[in-house]
Amino acid sequence: MEEKNFSIDPTTEALVIKAEKEGIETLWDRKKIMKTPCGFGEEGLCCRICAMGPCRISPTAGKGAQKGICGATADVIVARNLVRMIAGGLATHSDHGRDIAHVLHMAKRDGNYKIADEKKLLSLAKEWEVATENRDIYDIAHEVAEVALNEFGKPFGSLRLLERVPEQRKQVWDENKLKPGAIDKEIVTIMHSTHIGCCADAKDLVHKGMRASLADGWGGSMIGTEFSDILFGSPVPRETEANLGVLEEDQVNIIVHGHEPSLSEMIVLAVEDPELLQLAKEVGAKGINLSGMCCTANEVTMRHGVKIAGNFAQQELAVITGAVEAVIVDVQCIFPALSPLTKCYHTKFITTSPKAKISGATHIEFEEEKALASAKQIVKEAILNFKNRDKEKVFIPKTKSPAIVGYSVESIKSQLDKVVNSHIDPMGTLKPLADVIKAGVLRGAAGVVGCNNPKVKHDYGHIELMKELIKNDVIVVTTGCAAQAAAKAGLMSKEARKFAGKGLATVCELVDIPPVLHMGSCVDISRILMLVAELAEMLDVDMSALPVVGAAPEWMSEKAVSIGTYVVTSGIDTWLGVAPPVTGSAAVVDLLTNKAEAVVGARFYIEPDPYKAAQQMIERIEEKREALGLSLAEAEA
Amino acid sequence: MNLFNIIYTGSNQALAAAEGLLKKAIEEKGVDHKVAFPETAYSLPIIYAATGQKMNTLQDLEGAIGVVKSLIDEQPRLEPALNAGLATAVAAEIIEAVKYALNETPYEAPCTGHISDAIIRSLGVPLVTGDIPGVAVVLGECPDSETAAKVIKDYQSKGLLTFLVGKIIDQAIEANVKMGLELRVIPLGYDVTSVIHVVSVAIRASLIFGGVEPGKLAEHMEYTKNRVPAFVNAFGPLSELVVSAGAGAIALGFPVITDQTVLEVPTLLLTQKDYDKVPATSLEARGIKIKITEIPIPVGFAAAFEGERVRKDD
Repeated sequence: MEEKNFSIDPTTEALVIKAEKEGIETLWDRKKIMKTPCGFGEEGLCCRICAMGPCRISPTAGKGAQKGICGATADVIVARNLVRMIAGGLATHSDHGRDIAHVLHMAKRDGNYKIADEKKLLSLAKEWEVATENRDIYDIAHEVAEVALNEFGKPFGSLRLLERVPEQRKQVWDENKLKPGAIDKEIVTIMHSTHIGCCADAKDLVHKGMRASLADGWGGSMIGTEFSDILFGSPVPRETEANLGVLEEDQVNIIVHGHEPSLSEMIVLAVEDPELLQLAKEVGAKGINLSGMCCTANEVTMRHGVKIAGNFAQQELAVITGAVEAVIVDVQCIFPALSPLTKCYHTKFITTSPKAKISGATHIEFEEEKALASAKQIVKEAILNFKNRDKEKVFIPKTKSPAIVGYSVESIKSQLDKVVNSHIDPMGTLKPLADVIKAGVLRGAAGVVGCNNPKVKHDYGHIELMKELIKNDVIVVTTGCAAQAAAKAGLMSKEARKFAGKGLATVCELVDIPPVLHMGSCVDISRILMLVAELAEMLDVDMSALPVVGAAPEWMSEKAVSIGTYVVTSGIDTWLGVAPPVTGSAAVVDLLTNKAEAVVGARFYIEPDPYKAAQQMIERIEEKREALGLSLAEAEA
Repeated sequence: MNLFNIIYTGSNQALAAAEGLLKKAIEEKGVDHKVAFPETAYSLPIIYAATGQKMNTLQDLEGAIGVVKSLIDEQPRLEPALNAGLATAVAAEIIEAVKYALNETPYEAPCTGHISDAIIRSLGVPLVTGDIPGVAVVLGECPDSETAAKVIKDYQSKGLLTFLVGKIIDQAIEANVKMGLELRVIPLGYDVTSVIHVVSVAIRASLIFGGVEPGKLAEHMEYTKNRVPAFVNAFGPLSELVVSAGAGAIALGFPVITDQTVLEVPTLLLTQKDYDKVPATSLEARGIKIKITEIPIPVGFAAAFEGERVRKDD
């Protein structure tokens, strides 16, 4: 690589240099080989949905092709492409949620999967009117799981979890026909409406996308989160470490990468198995060192404090350390490039899900019916691979940072209990948070989420934005690869309050939290939705009235598109650090970045500069504060 | 109005009042007229602790007005809001100093006004040993004198040192609360600005017992927050000035508990409308834990009653 300035993370830079020396390509090399991306694709103006095409529309009005062969305009083509991205993201999160619901459905008292959080299960059972009295907890679990599974394909009505929002938000969704029906139906409808010769109205398409996206945030993702908590426990604050420095020279290094905790949870158990530990000793290792990447890492770090090896853009670099015995993956955001890459080292690349087979990888199908045995078999493969490690090739950067993770809504509430005066208020509510926001000690809250994207300097967008926000007394909650960037940069340690403004620093000190809170994986953005919904309910205002903003500074996946859309549709302004492929249609851009506000009370902002984005977010927060102050004063009067 | 704006309004009012009063004093007495509180080696203690400068004349006080102005920066953030609270404290000290400059005895019984160094030194040991477990600053007006007496006596029976500011002094007298240093109930004055004489106690504790150098404001604030277990009870309608003085208390680490509806800040600014619970709420907010052995006797029993004199008529 000629330009060395592609990441703010020192381990990333060091390992890319190693890759270069060894003649190994990384995503940055492939990005470079791509040269200038196709302008039609970049602006969303290329359509391939039928065999009359491919068609492409000239980005200049009045010059060149203005319509596809079927007559679809730039607006229609851009909107169709966009909502298909939403459908892709929704499908991904939903299938994840569905799998977890299936796992709950097979949970048994003496099985590998058990109920870890009965309280959460019972509260969900109550919410869904599943009888609980005098029933076996597993019978309740199975029925709750069945109810959830029916959410994916029920013929009538809208999703149950949509009921969790304040009345004001329900009204917005009702008025604009934005309440989704069955989760899978929404995906099908989008695929249907975007077929040739179907929906040809940009506004209607965008609204369909918004409706569908709610089936992700308040459907698939929320089911994924709730059921993962029920099965594996609701996260509580715990310490961990982050960055590639967590790999150990003298241990068997196993990386879990992907998304679904049903696999990684079993791997966590398997690496503690005495027989396997003995085996590790026998092959000459001091132990088994498990770490994670991407959202699977977030799941296991939130619940077990498993160390975070790195985020999306670092998945190849972990292998390039030469110290990883196995990369165990399931689904989503797994580079196929890992397959040829691992061939250059001793690393075993093990795929486990029938949904994500990758040519050249070792496929060991993870069987949920005998999950632990299956996980042990996979771990054994990794241990036996230790002897194949080429010590000459090993280079583990020393960098790692301490982090505190595990901030579920429940654990945030219990942290807040620390500042509740027992003579005034009850415990277990968000009132202290509502108070500091109302008083102005915290100006607002921001959810910073999303991926890595080689179009943005790695982690730069995440970290600079977060630092600007906390400096201005805006508390940051984060998930996904953005959260891992924060953990690596040290923003999740309690000492990080020194980067925060006085208001946020005071809150951090009193509540004993870092200024940036790790709320989990990408499906766990549903936790952020719940937090905002509860806060709105507490203040008796719509979610869109709160001084709350969202951002995806380095987004890349279709999942991120779906997430951004459901966040906006839920009433939260969202900043994108990477422009989505919509710029070919002024009308669609207008719908997303302007007209959406009249419909759902929030809109998209596209701003690649994190400083400018932070400024805009703070201005927006102050605007909302002003309006909120007025409406609260009205309510009091 | 939002909380920070209320604070800024109050601070600006305090600034205007200080400026006006100082101007009048200079017109009357001239710029070289002497300024001092009685029986202290720390000049104007708050200004001295904050800037390291001693105030000797009315002209010096004109410079202190600049300190007040520099502390008021109307940004919507906690830090400038707390600074504005400190500005109010400095302005109040200027106002009180001018009172003493214009009048040798501006305070008359039952009010004490400024507290001497000797008294502060005498309070040092019981504060360190925990014999005085906390300092309550009660200001404003309770709905009735019975309520006022109940709250004050509760503190008294727990051995706290209680300072009174405002109409609550009359309410305490009306309800026959016995006062005096030895009884640990000290009426300061009727004006809000007289609350500065208790802030001055805390700041001098930092100068005397903490050995913190004058001019190191942040260290003084750290000392008062960690070592002076004070809190404020503000009763009755709150003017902007009182709220802004409250921000000054919060800046020093002292929580404010009020019976009024305010924008609450957990552990720092709390609303407690049930007067019976005010003391318990306040002690919890300041983290004051009192080890009590309750002796079931029909009269109050506490170190605070040690200096009590029983008069013939009683």
